[in-house]
Amino acid sequence: MGRAIVITSGKGGVGKTTTTANLGTALAQLGFSVVLVDADIGLRNLDVVMGLENRIVFHLVDAIRGKCTLQKAMIKDRRLDNLWILPASQTDDKDAVTPDDMRRVIGELKAHHDFVLIDCPAGIEQGFKNAIAGADEAIVVATPEVSSIRDADRVVGLLAQADVSARLIVNRISAHLVKRGDMLSQNDVIEILALELLGTVPMDDAVVATTNKGIPAVLEGKGLAARELIRIAKRLAGVDVEVSEHVGLFTRIGRALGLSASPA
Amino acid sequence: MWNRIQTLFSGKSSKDVAKGRLHLVLAHDRTGLEGGRLQEMREEIAAVIAKYVQIDPDALDIQIETHKRETQLTVSSPITTRAT
Repeated sequence: MGRAIVITSGKGGVGKTTTTANLGTALAQLGFSVVLVDADIGLRNLDVVMGLENRIVFHLVDAIRGKCTLQKAMIKDRRLDNLWILPASQTDDKDAVTPDDMRRVIGELKAHHDFVLIDCPAGIEQGFKNAIAGADEAIVVATPEVSSIRDADRVVGLLAQADVSARLIVNRISAHLVKRGDMLSQNDVIEILALELLGTVPMDDAVVATTNKGIPAVLEGKGLAARELIRIAKRLAGVDVEVSEHVGLFTRIGRALGLSASPA
Repeated sequence: MWNRIQTLFSGKSSKDVAKGRLHLVLAHDRTGLEGGRLQEMREEIAAVIAKYVQIDPDALDIQIETHKRETQLTVSSPITTRAT
């Protein structure tokens, strides 16, 4: 029996879909069997981030309505042997699916795969309720900004009510902004949200470039963000990897020399 | 560097400002009370206390603070000495 993990944030545009695509790809690279589910019905995007938009025939809503089997709706990623995506419908709305439908679909996927990653829509309405319905655990993605953290806090409260345990990914952190006091550090975000940290992903132009091409950054493996996402995937899988901190080179050298006492 | 110097004089970096604002916003968000309801609650609490002891309703102070995921509501009010 696999694990179903929902990737959520409350606020839109903080990197949920990119995180889902990359963690799923990294887990598949580690040898796990992975299905990525796009739960954003009406505004699907996981397909384009994965570069599989031209291969969609059926989708999640078709499978739920019995128009096709679940297997038929899944797209096999040709780059890796053990990675599938289940796309959302682009024409239906969120009410086309109920939490019970999602529990049934996710349950069936979990029976055949190690990881089911669910890409949650922004917001806290029906789409959110559907996305978390079948999940065993959650990853909350937040960027180090007031609006993102505020929305994440709301989501953390709702997840707790639904009895879904949550861990945190701080996304798009910039070491030099943190250093000059113009960005909240990962520790500030952890302190405010009081969540266990799964990892911190640095701001990285390489992610923009690979996403343009429909290639998850971890497939090319270049850049700081890709490396960090691979570490997070390992941590998710239970391989013990230390949570790394994003500090500047000089701080790191200073620490190595025992000059700097407190972490950022 | 310039930012560091500015911080040195003003005492607060933009990140500290963000953190302070977040603490306040989250404390209120977590109560689930919209602005007007908080004022209503304040007036009701003042009225209840005033039934038993003499207070200045305007001096009643309500604080909402969060630590970890717990939110604490504190009401404090000086008791005015009864003029005998």
